[in-house]
Amino acid sequence: MSEENWIEVGSTDSIEEEDLIRFDHQDKTFCVYRLTDGFYATDGICTHEAVHLEDGLVMDDEIECPMHQGIFNIKSGEALSPPACEDLKTYPVKVDNDKIFIKID
Amino acid sequence: MKKNIIILGGGQAGIYAAREIRQNDSESNIKILGEENLLPYERPPLSKDFLLDKKNEDDLYFHSIEVIKNENIDFENVLINKVDFEHKKLFSKNEDVYTYDSLLISTGSDNKRLSLDNNLSDDVYYLRNLEEAKIIKEKVSDKNKITIIGGGFIGLEIASSLSQLQKKVTVIEIGNQLMGRIIPKQIADLVQNTHIEQGNEIILNKQIDKIIKKNGIYEILLNDNSIIETDFVIAGIGSTPSVKLFENTNLKLDNGIVTNQFCETSIKDVYAAGDVCNFYHPFYERNMRLESYQHAQNHGICAGKNIAGVKTEYTSIPWMWSDQFNLNLQLTGICDDYDEIIARGNDINNGVIYFFLKNKIIKGACGLGIAGKVGRDIRITSKLTEKNTIVDKQILSDQNQKLNKLIQKQ
Repeated sequence: MSEENWIEVGSTDSIEEEDLIRFDHQDKTFCVYRLTDGFYATDGICTHEAVHLEDGLVMDDEIECPMHQGIFNIKSGEALSPPACEDLKTYPVKVDNDKIFIKID
Repeated sequence: MKKNIIILGGGQAGIYAAREIRQNDSESNIKILGEENLLPYERPPLSKDFLLDKKNEDDLYFHSIEVIKNENIDFENVLINKVDFEHKKLFSKNEDVYTYDSLLISTGSDNKRLSLDNNLSDDVYYLRNLEEAKIIKEKVSDKNKITIIGGGFIGLEIASSLSQLQKKVTVIEIGNQLMGRIIPKQIADLVQNTHIEQGNEIILNKQIDKIIKKNGIYEILLNDNSIIETDFVIAGIGSTPSVKLFENTNLKLDNGIVTNQFCETSIKDVYAAGDVCNFYHPFYERNMRLESYQHAQNHGICAGKNIAGVKTEYTSIPWMWSDQFNLNLQLTGICDDYDEIIARGNDINNGVIYFFLKNKIIKGACGLGIAGKVGRDIRITSKLTEKNTIVDKQILSDQNQKLNKLIQKQ
């Protein structure tokens, strides 16, 4: 893992617990979440239809799409509830000096 | 015990039931009998992305043939024209016989059709299935002025799509607001404004007296003696449950197939799910019929569990959406019985929501916003509704306060 692949997202206090922020990098959109046990990141667009997940509901370890209510596990990306059936890609996250970084491959 | 399970109707409820049965029962034979020679497909895009050429036929299927085969689900394109519940048999037009141990009826609903007293019935087009969508798409390609009869979800979605294809669209609605059956007037008016801003003409409070055809152009005569000239007529005036096959049987029908909260009909081993059902909803303590994506899916899943022997009540709080232009409208709960309305937001760019309360308990909400903006709050409302929550009205009305707080207090 080369250091330069870690991209700074923002400060840890920019996300409330059980919430998310959208992060755009180059031509891609990501969602970065703060759950009770830490920070996580996934692709920012639902795998069912091209809708931003930034307006979705975070509950426990799950993100629910705001358009059609497909549900994904935030930690594994697994599609848990129809109409979503394709998993969401997840990304490694680290916190350094109160700053959040995600590793984009 | 290995059973023969037949699912009559190859739509959304049918395929979700089939997959749910397979999850709980690896042995039984599962066969879907579909009238259309197509694997189960998503209907919402038909009036939107399909008309706009943003999605093609291959994008619409719920699951590929590989997924369906891997789960050992059999799909057959056949028209059933007789049922014998006593001997548990279905008969096709070609006199093939299908014997079942358990039957799920998921035949959906049919278009209500305009009654015209001349021979122009075939000149009015409807959109419910892929074939109809293909015909409309092809026929409107060289037309300019399109008239849509009916200002409900389907009519307005088609109006939105055709407007985006640079057509001159007129919508004629009999009621005094758009989507009047289910949507609060405040939201209906915002939707109406958007259609007008985009160039569509909306005519309310008018009935069709007659349609005549002159030199390839249609003249629609309204009850105030005005005349709309148009090149093409589409009607979206509601649906009726597809129950013709069962009319002379002892299956209990009343605005659809009557089922209990377990998707069981009046006949043993016969279940029904989706649009075709007038089902008992234990939360509302009454029967209802719903036509929506979420209902077809969840009711199908519930029927699948019950057929597989996993006794499960159907308790989903109703939820539906409509996409028109760049707007997403969502509705949750049953909003016909309330004593207070609370508004949240006043700008569709950030989302506008009306919450419906009775005795301070939240009963549902309707919201409108650019794509995705109201989804989270509407979803939270569903969760609050199913728990009969007394809500803090100040939080509901203040867009700066997140509604998650109301859930966390539970």
